[in-house]
Amino acid sequence: MTKPQIYFNEVNERQGEFGRRAFIFGGLMGLGVVALGGRLAQLQVIQNSRYTKLSDNNQFDFRLTPPPRGLIIDRNGVVLASNRPDFRLLVTRDEHTKPEEVMDRLAVLLDLDDAHKRRAIADIKLAPKRAPVAVMEDMTWEEFSRINVRAPELPGVTADMGEVRVYPFGGAFAHVIGYVAKVSDKDVPKVGPIDPILLNPGFRIGKQGVEKSFDAQLRGKAGARKVEVDVKGRVVRDDPAGDIPSTAGATIQLTLDVDIQNRALEVFGEESGAAVMMDCRTGDVLCLVSAPSFDANRFVKGLTGPEYQALSGYERKPLFNKALTATFPAGSTFKTMVALTALEAGVSPNKTHTCGGAFPFGGHVFHCDKSHGTLNLHQAIVTSCDIFFYQTALEVGPDAIAATARKFGINQTFDELHIPQKAGTLPDTAWKQRTFHERWWPGETPSFGIGQGALAVNPLQLCVMCARIANGRKALMPRLVKSIGGKEMPPGDAVADIAVDPAHLAFVRQAMADVVTSGTAAATAKLGLGPIMMAGKTGTAQAHTYKGSRGTVHMDWAMRDHAWFIAFAPVDEPRYAMAVLVEHGGWGASAAAPRAAEIMKVALLKDPEIRARIVTPVASASDQAVGANPDEPLADGAAPPEPTPIPGAAQQPTAPPSLPQNEPQ
Amino acid sequence: MTVSALTRPGERDRLIVKLANIDWTFTLLLTLIAGVGGVMLYSIAGGSWLPWAAPHVIRFLGCLVLMTLLAVMDLRVWFALAYPIYAVGLLLLFAVALVGHSALGAQRWLDLGPIRIQPSEIIKIGLVLALARFYHSLSGRNARLSFWLLIPVALIGLPAALVAKQPDLGTALLIAATGGVMMILAGLSLRVVTVGLVGLVAVVPAAFMFVLKPYQKARLLTFLDPEADKSGSGYHIMQSKIALGSGGLLGKGFGLGTQSQLNFLPEKQTDFIFASLAEEFGFVGSMAVLLLYVAVIIMALRIASVSHSHFGRMAAAGVTATFALCLMINGAMVMGLAPVVGVPMPLLSWGGTVMITVMVGFGLVQSVRVHRYSEVTSGRGAIL
Repeated sequence: MTKPQIYFNEVNERQGEFGRRAFIFGGLMGLGVVALGGRLAQLQVIQNSRYTKLSDNNQFDFRLTPPPRGLIIDRNGVVLASNRPDFRLLVTRDEHTKPEEVMDRLAVLLDLDDAHKRRAIADIKLAPKRAPVAVMEDMTWEEFSRINVRAPELPGVTADMGEVRVYPFGGAFAHVIGYVAKVSDKDVPKVGPIDPILLNPGFRIGKQGVEKSFDAQLRGKAGARKVEVDVKGRVVRDDPAGDIPSTAGATIQLTLDVDIQNRALEVFGEESGAAVMMDCRTGDVLCLVSAPSFDANRFVKGLTGPEYQALSGYERKPLFNKALTATFPAGSTFKTMVALTALEAGVSPNKTHTCGGAFPFGGHVFHCDKSHGTLNLHQAIVTSCDIFFYQTALEVGPDAIAATARKFGINQTFDELHIPQKAGTLPDTAWKQRTFHERWWPGETPSFGIGQGALAVNPLQLCVMCARIANGRKALMPRLVKSIGGKEMPPGDAVADIAVDPAHLAFVRQAMADVVTSGTAAATAKLGLGPIMMAGKTGTAQAHTYKGSRGTVHMDWAMRDHAWFIAFAPVDEPRYAMAVLVEHGGWGASAAAPRAAEIMKVALLKDPEIRARIVTPVASASDQAVGANPDEPLADGAAPPEPTPIPGAAQQPTAPPSLPQNEPQ
Repeated sequence: MTVSALTRPGERDRLIVKLANIDWTFTLLLTLIAGVGGVMLYSIAGGSWLPWAAPHVIRFLGCLVLMTLLAVMDLRVWFALAYPIYAVGLLLLFAVALVGHSALGAQRWLDLGPIRIQPSEIIKIGLVLALARFYHSLSGRNARLSFWLLIPVALIGLPAALVAKQPDLGTALLIAATGGVMMILAGLSLRVVTVGLVGLVAVVPAAFMFVLKPYQKARLLTFLDPEADKSGSGYHIMQSKIALGSGGLLGKGFGLGTQSQLNFLPEKQTDFIFASLAEEFGFVGSMAVLLLYVAVIIMALRIASVSHSHFGRMAAAGVTATFALCLMINGAMVMGLAPVVGVPMPLLSWGGTVMITVMVGFGLVQSVRVHRYSEVTSGRGAIL
């Protein structure tokens, strides 16, 4: 190793310059670190709260927890719609998810057919990232635990417990309560804020009936589960302290009575029609049935294409709420209105007309079903003589009849029901001018007088009409919703008196009572409940214009007449009023009246005061009973009586003839 | 066993004396920083030695041995190897440009069977050595302003251009800046420095328009307005700032940094490890680490300025400049003051190659200290 050499030339100069500049460089670096420190202080000390919030936003996520949907109960508290637990399989997509692979792996664990797999894959692909998609619902407990055990091997797959709507009575309330179904694009508002709960997997909203009208009240308020998530949105930890509880939806109590409603659907069997019953003291709707019906639970699950086609293609239209939207001529039930119009116009109830079976007027011959001879108004109602009412209608004119009918609710829709209705048609001269730009021809009046022609009413309207006649004083309004979340809704009797002389109403009531004791419905509308009697009026509405003679039974179903019956009971102290329609059922007396009697019996026997009246005079009442022993149902309390055989009623009362295998072709 | 300029000649060459003359305080500071790195890597792995903390610590201990070996290596060996190392580095850079292994869209690695070489790291040391050797034999007057200065410009420009071509803009800037700092320390005329800085300001927009690749432009634009693009490039900066800011004065606590533990912080173990640190240990903790870095820089600059040889001075200062610029660039990037460029935090970040480079550099600094009284002749009297 050589000796180190020391050179002094220029070295000091270079060293001095280097030293100065190194010092400055060190100083600059020091300044740089001070700048970094300043920045740190700005971020960490001054803006700390802002960034803490942002960090929390990253770290915590609130997962919506859907609120339990409000119950729907009947007037006595029987549950008509509730929620049951539902084990669901959710798949959440992220960047790496391959839906086909996920479904193939799930198919090993669960029973999934190819169609189901394809549908699920499409759903997953459509869903936004990190939004869970329900690929299977209603798993068994076994399937649910199988998935949970394998969860670590199945990224993005979770099995959770949700709730799903259940309708314990299946079809009986399907038209009134409606159903809930999955949210579709149409349900999400295009503008304005979207309730985020709508995007929750498997969330369902009301699509029909009460479920739809009161969706906001039933839905409740969503809560949230606070979770800690990683950058991929996967839940790392739960933070129960931060959870926001959900608020259950309000309970809605309907005025309906489950026993009456169920019996009403039963008595229709395979027939098509509707029955509406109101308490004629309060206006409460006790029964609102449309037949045939369908199982609303199927809609909750989601109907398959063929199922839906079977329901919508069936000629007896199970999806249609006939009680509110089927409008037909009122037939002879409308004679009550014509009679009231005559009385109000000052026509004497003793004035007589003679029926010879035919009535020529204006170049046309109007017929009656038989030759009734000379009748006064009372007899004409009891025997339902058409010729008497052709002439009475001509006497008072169409406008007066329409005015009376309007007072009784014909051609009205009742917002109090909160379910869409069809108003139908109530013809008068102004209507004729408005609609056809033509004057009312006198030749149209006779058929209006017997509830035919352009007149079209729905069963609810006829029930309201009957209830107002039976009430005798008030222009009663129907009420379907008794209370929402414990808050009582306004009753139907908080209304003004009807502008008709009560004596005239009493006259019509007496005539209706005699219809059942000795008139058109004498053989078919007896209750067999001793002193408790029913009053009513039959109606047979033409479904089309006849050429030649009128037939009812042997014709094609779609050509037969519509059968009506309006009724109230008890005669002496009316409590329940109803209207029954049997679509294409034939004669009102034979198709509608017996069904009305059956339904009415259920209501009467549930009423403790009525029961007391029947029980006391047991001995004397027994000889009046026809077809049923009054003692028997009373022995076990409120059980409805054994049904008397009804023509056309099938022996499978609860299952609606809606599915393909039941479809009569 | 203190030594001085007047120590008996043979005495300074004894191994024990050399070992005693290694700056052990300085070594302790480096160990502290690397230890903090180990602690952070342990924390962000969710309280686990694997996959980062244990290899990091073991690697550092290995590098410490390497540094000691290099520290006792005669400065004249360094001197003799200066140009060869630079030449090898440059050749490898050419090679990587031709047949390099591409990772993340950039050709940075050279795959040599079992080992992968990152030539840009070799050239960092090579450039410092080459410039130190060049300036050692250049007079102060010529270092100020002369045509000779075209040589260091070329020595800096060639590797910087090759690295930028890879493309690795961060390292290219680091190489160019280190070279620039060394030229200034060597005595470059301040007038030229001023003109150069003004020229740079003029050239930057043009370079932005015509030289940068689209992703580099995007990063720069994102840096100017990070909140405009929260999910793309701006995400890194935003998440880093959230990590820092939410740390507050005292931090969220060891192992409790949600930004890094839940992976919101990207590259949490490499480029953004300082953000993890600041999140868990707050302003106090991150300032303490910054002060450790400042101490390292000052001590290294002091070692440089007491060296008797110009080669030693320049070499130690060059290593220090690289280290300090790394710190500044990474710090500014993590705090949202500079665009996201791939420059790690020296000693703190996960990554073997970078750590070896840093520790070889500090081996050179220690060697300068151990041999501070030795004079290095240009060429003659060489060991090799």
